[in-house]
Amino acid sequence: MTKANRISIRPLVLLAVLGLLTGCGASSVTIEGSYPTPTVARLPLKIAVYYDDALREFTYTEFTEQGQEEYNIQSGQSHVDLFNAILPGMFEEVFLVDSLEQAANLDVDAVFEPAIEEFQLALPYKTKLDVYEVWIKYNLRLTTPDGEYIADWVETSYGKTTTEAFRSNEASINAAAVIALRDLASSFTLKFANVPEVRDWLASL
Amino acid sequence: MHTERATRNTLLTVSGALMLGLVLASCTSTTVDEFRQGETGIESHESIVILGRRQASDYETRADFVNCVGDEVNRGSNSINVVPEQEFVDALFPWFEPRTAPLRTQDLERLMSEEIVAEKIDEFGIRYIVWVDGFTETTGRSGSISCAIGPGGGGCFGFGSWEDDSEFDARIWDVDALTSVGTISTDATGQSYLPAVVVPIPLLARVEANACDSLANQLKSFVNGS
Repeated sequence: MTKANRISIRPLVLLAVLGLLTGCGASSVTIEGSYPTPTVARLPLKIAVYYDDALREFTYTEFTEQGQEEYNIQSGQSHVDLFNAILPGMFEEVFLVDSLEQAANLDVDAVFEPAIEEFQLALPYKTKLDVYEVWIKYNLRLTTPDGEYIADWVETSYGKTTTEAFRSNEASINAAAVIALRDLASSFTLKFANVPEVRDWLASL
Repeated sequence: MHTERATRNTLLTVSGALMLGLVLASCTSTTVDEFRQGETGIESHESIVILGRRQASDYETRADFVNCVGDEVNRGSNSINVVPEQEFVDALFPWFEPRTAPLRTQDLERLMSEEIVAEKIDEFGIRYIVWVDGFTETTGRSGSISCAIGPGGGGCFGFGSWEDDSEFDARIWDVDALTSVGTISTDATGQSYLPAVVVPIPLLARVEANACDSLANQLKSFVNGS
């Protein structure tokens, strides 16, 4: 082999090694989607909403069958975007607060605090199905501005998307997660006034 | 040299004949059925919306197929105004999500009793809601292709084939009468081939595209009342 040939092969080998290294380690997926304002009759209420750090920074890690990190899925901001889209469509006025103490000083009817309890992901190569599936379990809490209990209930959401040629795993996971978030939004929007404690509270106003 | 040329010509002739045979064989057969339950007709200022059913646990109607049907209905002779699926679903959010979408005309009746929903549907001028339900299944895979690359070059050799079967139903709801006015079913099957002689040569049966064309044309005629 001549010196000229050895020099031309080296960049290719380096590129191949870099490619192999990129294939190792977990992939990061940041859920991004657009969420419409609901077409529902607004309730004549002023609501403060508080997103704690656990929600804002929520990350789910999926592991391989060998126990290695496979995907890190960040959905906190997408959840914030979702609630910021749907709450103004449900209530007359919505205030974002940075703390529960700040909410106590506002002239609002209630404080809404969503939390994610559980996140599950099913991948086609594990389930042997042609779908990506996401399940999310939420704890939704409503209190008076002073912190007194009004209602505390659980909502679950589900999203799936089929495998498609030329679409990456990351894009499919994002699509399934966005569908799950929209599922939460539709369920929450339509069921809110029928949650027993919420219904009793609305009747008492 | 004469022998080499003759051999090359023979190979080319045989390959060409094989390709032609496969092209002719990779066609699609399509069946369309229509079941009418009521009279239809549509004015120029009215429109329809075509939505995919996504309630099933093991499949979902692909948005690409729904968009294809919508595009075909919206063009050509006797074209009908079609509101894009995603635009409609977002504008009527959360009433047409997989969890909440009406499954029967009785559910539509309850939905239309919501004033804000009825107003929104009226704004779009929707006369008919068309629910498309189905999927394309690939079966009968056979053959294999091997590819290799070496210092002198590379290529693929082998042969693969498979059958695609697209089955879709379209159920048409009259928004004014709040009844189902008919169903159109389409079933398209076709065999695809993938011979590989150095390079793979896909000979694909356009099964889903044919199903889309057939369903869209029949839907146009049905909604126009012909």
